[in-house]
Amino acid sequence: MKIIEFALSRWESILKMTIDHFEIVLTAMLISILMGVAIGILITYNKTAAKVMLNIANIMMTIPSLALFSLLIPILGIGRAPAIAGLVLYTQLPIIRNVYTGILNIDPSIIEAARGMGLTRSKIMFRIKLPLAFPVIMAGVRTATVMGIGLGAIAAYIGAGGLGEYIFQGINRSNDKMILIGAVMVSLITIIIDRGLGFIQKKFEI
Amino acid sequence: MMSRSQNQIFRLKDIALIVLIFAIGIGFSVYVVNFPQDKIVERFMSYEKIIRSILQHLSIVVISSMLAIATSVPLGLILTRPKYKKFAKTVLGVVNIGQTIPSLAIVALFVGLLGIGTRTAILALWIYSLLPILNNTLVGILSVEPSIIEAAKGMGMLPKRILFKIEIPLAMPIIIAGIRTAVTINIGTAIFAAFVGGGGLGDLIISGNNVNRWQILVLGASLPALMALLSDIIFGAIERKTTI
Amino acid sequence: MIVFEQVIKKYNNQDKAAVDNLDLHIQKGEICMLVGPSGCGKTTTMKMINKLIKATSGKIYIDGMDIDQVDPINLRLDIGYVIQDTGLFPHMTIADNIATVPKEKGWSRNKIRNRVDELLELMDLDPEIYRDKKPKDLSGGQKQRVGVARALAADPPVMLMDEPFGALDPITRGKLQDEFLRIQEKIGKTIVFVTHDIDEALKMGDKIVVMRDGRVVQFGSPNEILSNPADEFVSELIGGNSNLKMMNLMKCKDIMRLIPNVDSRESSKAALKIANEHDVKNLLVTDHGQKLLGYVSYGSLASNDTVVSNLIKEIGETVTPKTTLQDVLSKMFSLGKKTVFVSGTKGTVEGIVTMDDLLKAVKDDEQISESDI
Repeated sequence: MKIIEFALSRWESILKMTIDHFEIVLTAMLISILMGVAIGILITYNKTAAKVMLNIANIMMTIPSLALFSLLIPILGIGRAPAIAGLVLYTQLPIIRNVYTGILNIDPSIIEAARGMGLTRSKIMFRIKLPLAFPVIMAGVRTATVMGIGLGAIAAYIGAGGLGEYIFQGINRSNDKMILIGAVMVSLITIIIDRGLGFIQKKFEI
Repeated sequence: MMSRSQNQIFRLKDIALIVLIFAIGIGFSVYVVNFPQDKIVERFMSYEKIIRSILQHLSIVVISSMLAIATSVPLGLILTRPKYKKFAKTVLGVVNIGQTIPSLAIVALFVGLLGIGTRTAILALWIYSLLPILNNTLVGILSVEPSIIEAAKGMGMLPKRILFKIEIPLAMPIIIAGIRTAVTINIGTAIFAAFVGGGGLGDLIISGNNVNRWQILVLGASLPALMALLSDIIFGAIERKTTI
Repeated sequence: MIVFEQVIKKYNNQDKAAVDNLDLHIQKGEICMLVGPSGCGKTTTMKMINKLIKATSGKIYIDGMDIDQVDPINLRLDIGYVIQDTGLFPHMTIADNIATVPKEKGWSRNKIRNRVDELLELMDLDPEIYRDKKPKDLSGGQKQRVGVARALAADPPVMLMDEPFGALDPITRGKLQDEFLRIQEKIGKTIVFVTHDIDEALKMGDKIVVMRDGRVVQFGSPNEILSNPADEFVSELIGGNSNLKMMNLMKCKDIMRLIPNVDSRESSKAALKIANEHDVKNLLVTDHGQKLLGYVSYGSLASNDTVVSNLIKEIGETVTPKTTLQDVLSKMFSLGKKTVFVSGTKGTVEGIVTMDDLLKAVKDDEQISESDI
């Protein structure tokens, strides 16, 4: 029960950290989605590019997140910017992969019909392919966002701020309450966002 | 050529990658030890230190992964038996929620509750890596075509034989994929062990950051990255091998 | 309307041409069936018309216009396209699916709406019910109807149909074929129709192109193909019972004979005289030249000297002028008779078809003995 008292006494800083956290993750996700969707669309037009891109993104995902952030320190330094860069890099794979497979898995007869009827390439992409791939793309965005929130906590290690800060400070100061509050907050936010995005995803399924 | 590569676990591409991974890892270690950027790095880095960190890291990963496999696979198999099947869906739901929780938060939760130390780290990793394996065991077994089981039953196979001769072999690639995910996650999450006094390659990252020397930091970051890639290739090959 | 001149299509990884030096003239308002085994080049041929596949060499003209000179998008907007898997856009309503090409052409919202409803009605789908449904709510046959409606939306002069009914069950397929023929009678499009089913080709086609290995084996009307197959391959494609298939192509009205009337109060001798004059074996019996009472046969007139009214037989079940000869034959079998009467529009009788007529129709050259009746 002491922990609740502790949390209540610190609610202002917890709130600020939470807002910071959201800011970092949202900024990163916006960039990541724009990039990932663009790359995912582009590689549907070229098989070799797709293979190379997906392989790179796959390897990227295998690298432990903290290792990736650490590797970015000598290049980009510490602070928010490198943290966001790391998040963007790390969350690319699920988005690119789902845009790509979502588009390629569309029943070819639908695309053939659209072509045969005289729709242009860009109209086929924006009016047929993207809407049909939307649930799959949304699933990728969901995975990426959930990852992003967790990564946002780790990014505190390279000075990004946010709820991770609470965990790392707690570890440094051997303050169990801070660690727990940080951990519980991050976990709760991920679960809530995951469920929320899952709900939206279901809405758009055809 | 084709038939040969089908019989072997590793494809030529895999072997080349494995060699490359070892070359980078050993090469970079040798470089840092022999050409340190300054006195601090020279004093800090040695082969013994690197090897000790690697071994610590590996032992945390191996112990937690073994525990996870040893608990989650049997649990998954039990939960897919007719008697307990009704719980499988609920467990899957819980597992799914568990999997969305970030690794750092899990480690932090355990530290917050149990205090720091290697044991805490191993326990956290065990619980966390249990989830993908349990998930895949359940999904793998449950997605075996019911008609196949029906056919086996019809031929008079006993439930135990159906499990070992039909269900497990068919679900194997998916179970292996779960183990692959779990081990890869563990290699990454084991870095946090250093933060909670568990040692391992995370030590190098922390030290590198504290003394602000890129050589230590980058070695500490790249070794677990290489390790993760290596395990991904190895388990990927096993996964392919078990795929029918 | 559609002309192929020495068209060749070679895929880059094969030395054999998929379509080899094809010359073809498809007349306006005709259904031209491309038929042949898979890999014969029929689909490639069709897809070259809307440039989904680009010809390696040769020229294709639509209405005198070289399609090389036309932008593919504009070309396709003016060609209806129906495919086997319907290719309906699952995220759009039925109305939006049908409206695709009109929207591209910039029609007004009102015009599109009216056109969609008109087409749905033409396809026997109630607009009120189906307009806002999604493709997944429809049965296979309904989906394909919408597929056809979508292709017809902007009233293109040319339609390409790639095995449109191939994925349907036989009953639905037959129904849609009949429906489509009925619609085609109204709209008179130039249609290129790909199928691997020779029976479908015979039933639907005004002209049939039999293809094999990228070449045209035979080009002609269903009758010509059936009565005069160009070679072994075509005969084999037609299968064993070409006579029966021929009977399926011909209608009652093609072979029925008119029969004269006789008043029921006439004597049998007078009736015989009429029959001999017209060289017929049966006479219709009317009451004062008005009400149809039945018929009398030559045999009964010859063997009985009485008034006609005593010899009247009931007409029984009839067929219509549009009944196929195959159906006439099966009607004869089920009635156990060698003659059936062909009914007119209002309970009248227009003519008669006999077993001999059927035999003559399918075997024109063979002499058939004029036997009983």
